[in-house]
Amino acid sequence: MNDLAAAVATPMANVEERTKIKVRDLHFYYNGFHALKGISMDVPEKQVTAIIGPSGCGKSTLLRIFNRIYAIYPKLEAKGQVELDGENILDPGYSMNRLRGKVGMVFQKPVPFPMTIFENVAYGIRHHEKLSKPDMSTRVEQALRSAALWDEVKDKLKQNALSLSGGQQQRLCIARAIALRPEVLLLDEPTSALDPIATSRIEQLVEELKSEYTIVIVTHNMQQAARVSDYTGFMYIGELIEFGNTEKIFTKPDRKQTEDYITGRFG
Amino acid sequence: MSSNTAIYVRRRITNMVAMLLGGFATLLGLTFLVWILWVTVSNGISAITPTLFTKITAYGAQGGLSNAIVGSLIMDFTALLICAPIGVLAGTYLAEYANSSKLGATIRFLNDILLSAPSIVLGLFVYVIIVLPMSNMTHGAISFSGLAGSVALALIGLPVIVRTTDEMLQLVPGTLREAALSLGVPQWKLTMQVLIRAAGSGILTGILLALARLAGETAPLLFTAFGNNFMTLHPLDKMASLPVAIYQYTNDPNPAMHAIAWAGALLITMFVLALSLLTRLIFSRKKVSYE
Repeated sequence: MNDLAAAVATPMANVEERTKIKVRDLHFYYNGFHALKGISMDVPEKQVTAIIGPSGCGKSTLLRIFNRIYAIYPKLEAKGQVELDGENILDPGYSMNRLRGKVGMVFQKPVPFPMTIFENVAYGIRHHEKLSKPDMSTRVEQALRSAALWDEVKDKLKQNALSLSGGQQQRLCIARAIALRPEVLLLDEPTSALDPIATSRIEQLVEELKSEYTIVIVTHNMQQAARVSDYTGFMYIGELIEFGNTEKIFTKPDRKQTEDYITGRFG
Repeated sequence: MSSNTAIYVRRRITNMVAMLLGGFATLLGLTFLVWILWVTVSNGISAITPTLFTKITAYGAQGGLSNAIVGSLIMDFTALLICAPIGVLAGTYLAEYANSSKLGATIRFLNDILLSAPSIVLGLFVYVIIVLPMSNMTHGAISFSGLAGSVALALIGLPVIVRTTDEMLQLVPGTLREAALSLGVPQWKLTMQVLIRAAGSGILTGILLALARLAGETAPLLFTAFGNNFMTLHPLDKMASLPVAIYQYTNDPNPAMHAIAWAGALLITMFVLALSLLTRLIFSRKKVSYE
């Protein structure tokens, strides 16, 4: 092996992704119903991981554990380990405030707060940091720019956010989430309520955001998973059937169930 | 084919009969409403004169209703000041903190009982817990009072506000709560800054409806504010009110008194009508559409 080959080989080895979220033997119970049955997976840092599967397979449930939003409802219980940078977030001592500052979430339906566009983005920041007025303006602008919404709203920041279109509202929700500078962004079927043009804008945005954030996206739409993700997990009735490189999952999956789902034989 | 035609004919007839019955029932209800409004307006309009607003109650045609109007305004708005904050807070507690708990269900049930409680019972209750003790403490110097009247009216308005606040907050989609909580915002901030704003116009509507409801009540005032033939602004005096004045005037054989009573009835009706229109306006304008 000559020097040149060695020089090329070294960075290649570094491309091996670091694990951001490590899930081990995760079980989830809805009021006694066993919804997740021993999920284990590694979500790589600064990559897009898609979770696909038929309705009711537990993909949203899994996502909702990553920021513990499920904990606001009674009688729901998660057992096992979910480590974010090596710390178990299911540990009761893990601060909810800290977790939700690190892990942002965007929901299926765009839900802007009943406030101005500016306030929607500033609202979450205010809870975590004290910023001066000009700093806050810069921060809000940055978030709106990252969410590819700035040019459309820069002249109407004082308008009610509910006056925006559905696609704009969803990008506002993404801006609101990234304004906190999280490390992980959870997207729960973020385009299922949007038209194709708004959908492609969001997909483009996901592509751009992955250089800075670890993104986990739950989607019903297999083409979307194939288009935007680097890794894909296929779930079925509470189990993670297969997890791996998106290209591999969609071209030569190891498991027959995965292949049947992807080729549309069920689901 | 023929049996199908028979079925269709039968359905058409059933449909027509149901439509006719429904239409008739609607017409009947509306007739009485319009009739009541017509009688009130036609009898009351002639007695609406400047003296109605400038002179206090007196015997015969010379009197006005100024003391009753002022008394009603004072008591209605004091009642609202008492019941609106308590009602909004209680409704918020029910919707946000006790939504699926047994305690919440029990409080809702009790609130519904209060909502349908006969208003004279509430008047008697306030008589026993406020009027009598005050009279005993002051050796009769203070007994019936505008304040006691306000408390009785507040008891009428309270369950209305609790219920509308509870229902309006429950209409706010759960995803809005999740969105705020997923930013790390604590529950109390979410409630005060996001949910109350999202349900704001609905809650305001509830408060105005409560005002409309309590403004027309007579029975709770009989044993509490009692009535007064003179103008007073002091909350611990006996206080006149429109409903009680109407009640007293109609009991008099003098037809001139009846005319003034009609005018008072028209005033209350107009006040309540204006409130209803205002609530409609607020609700249609500021409606937040989350579907």
